[in-house]
Amino acid sequence: MKRKGKEFREPKKFLCPYGFTLANLKAEMRAIWENNVKEWKIEFTYPLSFIRQSVEPLIFLLPFIVYGLVLIGGRYSDSLMSLVGTGDIVTYIFTGYIIMGFIGTSVWAMGFGIRKEQWYGTFESIYVTPTSRISLVLGMALHSVVHQGISVFFEFLVIYAIFGLALRIEGILPALGILALMMLALCGFGLFVSSLALVLKEGWIISEGLYSVLMILSPVAYPLTVLPSIAQQMSKVFPTAPALIGMRSFLIENYTPEVMGNVFLHLLALDLAWIIFGVMIFYATDVYIRKRGTLGKY
Amino acid sequence: MGSSETYSFKANLFIIWSEVVKNIKFMMAYPVIFVFWTIFPFFWFLPFIFQCQAFVGGLHSANFEQFTGTSDYIPFIVIGAILNGYVLTSLYGVGESMRREAYRGTLDYLLSSPSNKAFILIGKALSESIKSTMYAAIQFVVGILVFGIYVTIEIIMPIVLIIFLLILGLYGIALMLAAVSLQFKQAHDLAHTLEYVFYVFTPVRYPLQSLPFWAQVLGSFLPLTYALIAVRSLMLLKQNVLAVYQEIFLLLVVDVVAIFLGFYLFDWMEKKTKSSGSISHY
Amino acid sequence: MVYDERSDDYSIKTINLAKSFRKKRHKGVFGFLKRGNEKEKSETTDVTVALDNVNLGVRTGELFGLLGPNGAGKTTLVKCLSTILIPDDGTAIINGFDIRRQTTLVRASLGMVIGGERTLYWKLTARDNLMYFASLYKMPRKRIKERVDELLGTMNLLDRADERLEDYSTGMRQKVAIARALLHDPPVLLLDEPTLGLDPTFSRQIRNQIRELSRKEGKTVLLATHYMKEADELCDRIAIINEGKIVAVDTSDQLKAMVKETELVEVICYNPPQNVEEYLKALCPDVEIITLIRGEEAKGTPSRIKLIGGNAEKRISTVIDALRKKNTQITSLNISMPTLEDVFIKLTGAKLTEGSMGAGQ
Ligand SMILES: Nc1ncnc2c1ncn2[C@@H]1O[C@H](COP(=O)(O)OP(=O)(O)OP(=O)(O)O)[C@@H](O)[C@H]1O
Ligand SMILES: [Mg+2]
Repeated sequence: MKRKGKEFREPKKFLCPYGFTLANLKAEMRAIWENNVKEWKIEFTYPLSFIRQSVEPLIFLLPFIVYGLVLIGGRYSDSLMSLVGTGDIVTYIFTGYIIMGFIGTSVWAMGFGIRKEQWYGTFESIYVTPTSRISLVLGMALHSVVHQGISVFFEFLVIYAIFGLALRIEGILPALGILALMMLALCGFGLFVSSLALVLKEGWIISEGLYSVLMILSPVAYPLTVLPSIAQQMSKVFPTAPALIGMRSFLIENYTPEVMGNVFLHLLALDLAWIIFGVMIFYATDVYIRKRGTLGKY
Repeated sequence: MGSSETYSFKANLFIIWSEVVKNIKFMMAYPVIFVFWTIFPFFWFLPFIFQCQAFVGGLHSANFEQFTGTSDYIPFIVIGAILNGYVLTSLYGVGESMRREAYRGTLDYLLSSPSNKAFILIGKALSESIKSTMYAAIQFVVGILVFGIYVTIEIIMPIVLIIFLLILGLYGIALMLAAVSLQFKQAHDLAHTLEYVFYVFTPVRYPLQSLPFWAQVLGSFLPLTYALIAVRSLMLLKQNVLAVYQEIFLLLVVDVVAIFLGFYLFDWMEKKTKSSGSISHY
Repeated sequence: MVYDERSDDYSIKTINLAKSFRKKRHKGVFGFLKRGNEKEKSETTDVTVALDNVNLGVRTGELFGLLGPNGAGKTTLVKCLSTILIPDDGTAIINGFDIRRQTTLVRASLGMVIGGERTLYWKLTARDNLMYFASLYKMPRKRIKERVDELLGTMNLLDRADERLEDYSTGMRQKVAIARALLHDPPVLLLDEPTLGLDPTFSRQIRNQIRELSRKEGKTVLLATHYMKEADELCDRIAIINEGKIVAVDTSDQLKAMVKETELVEVICYNPPQNVEEYLKALCPDVEIITLIRGEEAKGTPSRIKLIGGNAEKRISTVIDALRKKNTQITSLNISMPTLEDVFIKLTGAKLTEGSMGAGQ
């Protein structure tokens, strides 16, 4: 017969770290990092695109400020003062607009990360590796968060140069802590959006829609008290509202312990809820598309 | 000679027609997208309305009136958002069409066909305008019913005329964009950049006078600036057509320049692309 | 370790694996709101059976071929095994792990080469691609670099390793894809049409590589292909799949022996008449199967008419006369040596490939 007695070495028994072990956690973390690195490498093949995307948030921030200045005829609003305790609209809008990029992280970078891989044609290849798909999405999120960080810094420089900003330097670190808490919940939310994007054909409409709705329901350029009460109730589901209240009280005003306590509890509850919800929906979607056979399709 | 001329003219009309039919069919096949483009512009300006409520504590701003002649800011930004829709559809619908063709791999085929490529673009432009006008019409109705925009029978025709002129100018610019995208790989970024320019340097959200002088000069080259001023004069300040003849005239001038430049640039780029090869992969 | 033909040690074993797809027409997000009439409704619930109770065992160290025409279900089987698809029924055991319950371990045991142009990042270099995927396979950081260099070396890509894949040829990209499948040194390889779209030289290189992997490294290889020559040349055993069913599993020689006793005539010709099959069938009703395999005549590949079974040999003269009458240019006659294609035709009554016989030398 053709092939009698072909000889070869013994296959290895150890495959890769898996399950709830420290080694596996490390491996998944590295996968997150490598996904982030890969995104950067691809991004830098279009340097102009990188510059444009870094400047974009500033472009959409400026009209809010100019419009506000025209409405009042100066940068101090008595009405805003009576609503939130600070009247400086430029600082108020700037601190609010910071989070818009991070909403983008969850609805676009995470929501469309898998879709993008499907579009490249690489998703199935990633899929057959022992790394969790969540690490893929989190890698995209990491890349996007760094990107948004660069944008925010740029916004800060320009707005500071043109208008000047009254920020409390010592508030920056605690504000970053709150931002991190907000990001946790937004990551859960992003997993949810990426599931929707996988199932629905016109998923970009969902992302665009959620982005706009979150913009309205977050106190970016106005306190939520000016919204109709249904909208105020709805805004409680998303982490952006408590996060902005918390960040502003560190960055602009003096914080009060009871407000901060509420903000922390609210954010922690939302973190837990969104992460559990997001991961569950993500896995359910995973099974659903593997049954339907639409994994590699775009 | 005459016969081949008429043939090509007919053929060009047919190209325009089939582009329009193709795009309208596409629109019918994806009602969700249609609903999206009708509804979402409202979501994009709602924050500005709430912002104003927070900053001035009511529905009227006295300071606003100094610049615009009306203290009522809501209809002001509603009109801005509706007309800005034409910018988005022309830049992304027409300006980027060459990029999409290149992506689908049909660009080379398109360039090698004997017809005038600009006519294919006119077809695209026409169908985009039909679509945008449907969105705009629905949005105007909502604006009139919900946001208190003023309208009378007499100003409808002038508004249609202004929008028509706006479309012409925008498509001149879109044609330039399409031309550039034949050679320049990252035309997508260019389209976005143009969108930013329109967004910041025209009175979409705020009166132009509130910007620094150099920005006002830049804005005066953009057709949207004149269209916005004219439409707002008619609908917000309740003026008649004679009061806005200057804006209409300047809009016409900008149109002629933009279209001339657009065709010229497209022709030039097409020749260049044919001799040096098109950008094949993305 | 020695590969044993009678071993019961299976690296891949499928148990009643079944998968069907609903043929669904795209209706968009709110498609469910649209009402269709009754006829449309029955259309929307049409079902394609892609895998029908597949039971296969691939022994450890075996190079196993999965041969079938387009749409036979090869890719579906490979996808089920690689956990990309969840089967409707049944399961499979790979390297001792269940594809339904132990997905992570199954994935870690597998190297995959999926057909298709864009399974790698074209914007990244070959090295970056491999480094990235190595980390997804959770390889130790120190090992990654040397392994990537090692594989780039075996694939003869070292000197172009830092170029982006968009500047590579299709064949070179396929080599990178194979290198990726080998990164973590998996015991089992699933290859779905690895030579699709490659020129003969590259195809041969890749086939040699597959043979080496099986012989020297002892990988268990499942090779899905519709090139029968590829299966014939490489595989220890071949499973023939058609419309989701496995119709035969055996060595190439044994399979061919199934048709050996029956008579087999092949007429190589140019320009056969349109309905030649029915035409000849009417003349020789006692020949079991008459089938035409069209070649790309314009490119110089002749068409072939196969007569199988019955009194095929006795009918040769009838057939030649009949074809001459129709202005067919006969270049040669073969009486003998069945190929896997004959096996396929005999087993299923269908043709394995249309006109692509010459592909992949
Ligand atoms: N996601 C899907 N949805 C619907 N039908 C599918 C899907 N995937 C495969 N099919 C159908 O299942 C059948 C088997 O397809 P499969 O891709 O497994 O064939 P194949 O043997 O790999 O063919 P080829 O040689 O063309 O690659 C085909 O009829 C195909 O149309
Ligand atoms: Mg296949």
